[in-house]
Amino acid sequence: MISVTVVRAEGLTKTVGTGRAARRVLDDVSLSVEADEVVAILGRSGSGKSTLLHLLGGLDAPDAGKITLAGEKLTGRSARALARIRLRHVGFVFQQFQLIEELSGAENVLMPTRLPGAPAGGARRAARLIEELGLSEVADHLPHELSGGEQQRFAFARALVNGPKLVLADEPTGSLDAENGAAVLELLRGLTGRAVVIVTHEPDAAAIADRVVHLADGRLLAGGPSLAP
Amino acid sequence: MTAVGAALAEARTGLRLRRRGALLTAVGIALAAAMLAAAVVVGVGLGGGFDRAARAADLPDIIVRFDPESASVVGQRIRALPDIASYSTRLELTNTRIAAGGQRRGDAVAEVMSGSGRAGYAVVAGHSPARKGSQVLVELGFAQAWHLHLGSTLYVGGLGPQRVVGFAEAPDNVGYPLAKPRYYLSRPAIEARLGAEANPRVNLAEIWLRNPRYLNEVLVQARATSFGLHDIQFATRSGVRVLLDQAAGIVIDLLVALSVIALVTASVMLAASARAEVQRRLGAIGVRRAVGASRGHIALAQGLEAMLIAVPAAALGLVAGVLAIYGADDRLLTMLNEPPPGAALVLPMAAAFVASVAIPVLGAAWPAWRAAGGSPVALLRGGELETGGRRRAGGSGRRGGLAALGARLVAARRVRLAATVVTLGLSTGFVLLMLALASELSALETDPGALGKRYQVTATMPVSAVPRARRISGIAAIAPRYEVEGADSYYLGETIDVIAYPGNHTVFEDPPLVSGRHLRGNDQAEVGVGLADALGLSPGSTLAIELSTGNELRFRVSGLVSSLDHDGRVAYIPARPLLAADPSAPYQVAIVLTPGANYGAMTTALTRIGAQFTATSGATARGVPLVDTLRTILVAIAIVDGLVCLYALIQASTLTVQERRRTVAVLRACGAGPAAVRRLLLGATLALIVPAGVVGIVLERFVFGPALSHLAVNYATLALEPTPAEVLATVAGLAAAGALAVIWVARQAARESVVAGLAAR
Repeated sequence: MISVTVVRAEGLTKTVGTGRAARRVLDDVSLSVEADEVVAILGRSGSGKSTLLHLLGGLDAPDAGKITLAGEKLTGRSARALARIRLRHVGFVFQQFQLIEELSGAENVLMPTRLPGAPAGGARRAARLIEELGLSEVADHLPHELSGGEQQRFAFARALVNGPKLVLADEPTGSLDAENGAAVLELLRGLTGRAVVIVTHEPDAAAIADRVVHLADGRLLAGGPSLAP
Repeated sequence: MTAVGAALAEARTGLRLRRRGALLTAVGIALAAAMLAAAVVVGVGLGGGFDRAARAADLPDIIVRFDPESASVVGQRIRALPDIASYSTRLELTNTRIAAGGQRRGDAVAEVMSGSGRAGYAVVAGHSPARKGSQVLVELGFAQAWHLHLGSTLYVGGLGPQRVVGFAEAPDNVGYPLAKPRYYLSRPAIEARLGAEANPRVNLAEIWLRNPRYLNEVLVQARATSFGLHDIQFATRSGVRVLLDQAAGIVIDLLVALSVIALVTASVMLAASARAEVQRRLGAIGVRRAVGASRGHIALAQGLEAMLIAVPAAALGLVAGVLAIYGADDRLLTMLNEPPPGAALVLPMAAAFVASVAIPVLGAAWPAWRAAGGSPVALLRGGELETGGRRRAGGSGRRGGLAALGARLVAARRVRLAATVVTLGLSTGFVLLMLALASELSALETDPGALGKRYQVTATMPVSAVPRARRISGIAAIAPRYEVEGADSYYLGETIDVIAYPGNHTVFEDPPLVSGRHLRGNDQAEVGVGLADALGLSPGSTLAIELSTGNELRFRVSGLVSSLDHDGRVAYIPARPLLAADPSAPYQVAIVLTPGANYGAMTTALTRIGAQFTATSGATARGVPLVDTLRTILVAIAIVDGLVCLYALIQASTLTVQERRRTVAVLRACGAGPAAVRRLLLGATLALIVPAGVVGIVLERFVFGPALSHLAVNYATLALEPTPAEVLATVAGLAAAGALAVIWVARQAARESVVAGLAAR
């Protein structure tokens, strides 16, 4: 089977803060993730895991290095171009779910499909995702009326609704109990045809990954097979 | 460190941390202060203008005009009156020829002063003409229009070049260009050059009383002892005020009323702005409460921070407001022969400054005080934001794009939404009102129908020619219109414009009947509401009019009419009793045209029978420059008002985006580009401007318009109703302001890092 590289990062460097407060959070980091591959990035708090995730998703720009996502170069692109790339190729799952308070669960899922330039057929895909994730009963509920697990599943559906090639999950189980956390990890593991990058410090989350990489002091220390049995 | 010192230090820190927010608040305060300043300048300048002018000019209590008579005879008559403090006489010459700087006129008024006694005018620059030499004192408005300065030369017909030695303002009449150009000469100086007259003649006397309360008694005595003087006309201070009102009263009162509305609008905006700022900082207040800050300390720090912003912003705004409006206001006052308010502005401006500072300070401190009283835990969670936006979700099939989401984000903050909608609605209503006012001014200027006049043409011809003229094609009705000036027999200072027709006057003039009914019979009269108010008349009362012939007419008031002519101090009476008392009453022939009449053919036929005709004009036809100046003032106020709208929209949108940083960041993380953010903001802005537009239109239609009509002229009701085109223009302006706000705030939002937005609380 031919592997397809979805995202490739080379020599990424990123410094945050200025003057005496300046700190290099990423130092010459390189990473490639292929379709159907789940990569877990582990590291302590402040190790640069989330920063790397943001760079891979085009939310932030590196000081040095380059990133290619689905064959498109991210570095040096305008905000408009990055937004278009995110819309078509990236889905984010956040620790705090980041559902929009004013929108129901279903509307949150539909929201990316209504953005200018979104792929056609969004409503159909959203309905299918809501159905598949067992959220039909609570689709009209506002976020504050949903359980944590339900919220994360809606966030998961929102991340997938435009059919992204890359799913980036930032501590996806951090705000969930063990049962709901396991369900979300199961969903991530079950994704096919996509590259998945999970940032976590929880061994359970890392256990579902095909490959685990460690970030310490801004450097990618080791890559290796999953800790999963 | 004292409590105040600590609060001040905290306020300074807060300012440093929130520079952009502080700048936005400062802009709002400056705009509101500018609006206040404009309102104060217009209100104080015009509201007290006549009294200031009368004081400065030492305006006499009584001004008497009569046919030229020996100065010694006039002096003798005046000295015989009781309670006279002093008097002066002069010769007033009309239609004199003047020229300067390539301009010339043949209708100037020369006031030849006797050289002794009080002057009755204020010298605003230079000095009065000396008793020797060729010197002239020129009315200020005229001097400005002709670019005359001290030392200029004014050529006066019969006297030659005269050196301009001073500028004067005399509020006994409006100034140039509303009235003829006026200048003052010294009789002794003229006599020194041309030789003294053996028996100098005068035709105007100014009389100052010891006690103005006895004015009526003096007038009664003066009328009784004025034998030997012909065509005598009395004017009192209040009468002069009426004369001035005839020229500009309607619009002046309207502007004063507009200023009141501006004050209300500015206050609402300042309070809303300050409250919004505190709402935005609920989280920070929670943190301070959590670490032990007292409620009073938080309110004080918040108030001091608002004060640090408000003091310079208000000062800047006030100065800008004054600069924006002062020039136009000054021109208007000069036209009215009234001095600029000068020091009289100091106290109201100080009050405006205090208000501009106090409202945001109180507006910041009071919500902070209230908020700080809540649970720190609730505040840390974001206070009312968390609870305010919750509602039951609708069906899953509901469409809700980005614009709808934007509207929902704005609607989540109901108090701010209401305050912003009210502010925008007031501003919109205000703009609509100004447009309606401009239309009304144009109508008054050009449309006689606005005054209830149905005749379109007046002609000078003998009454005997009227039957012949009646047969001319295109003439629907024709009759002599008699108009004389009378005085109330009991209050001689109250002048009455007496209008009489031989038949039914409503065919020619039909001002709306306010109460009672139209006159029936030779013993009845209809009176204007202005006159009824002045004399306490109502249907059934007796109106006693003293004519200049000395005869008195008595009528029973049949009804009150709403008339703009002469401030409503009019009386419609039948022609027969008038002609019996004054057979030589002046008249013109009023002509009502048939619809679609051939105007050219009609006027040709009129000319053929020897008539001279003029088209009827509106109330302010002679005041075109005045109307232009008023338009300048209205435009200045409208611009400030438009900026207020823009500010309110930007502020509301910015606060929405700041509070919803995370939501915007999530959208952007999901792939929303700048266009999508603009669409979101468009929805938010529409949620503000659509209800605001409706509120504005309703306010103008049912509150501002009617209220201003009554405030402006208590003797008549103006129809201040905007046309559909004006409503469209206003809505378009509001939409343009909304579009600007969207573009501006979207740009600001796009500059923020998505990652920072995702991390926001």
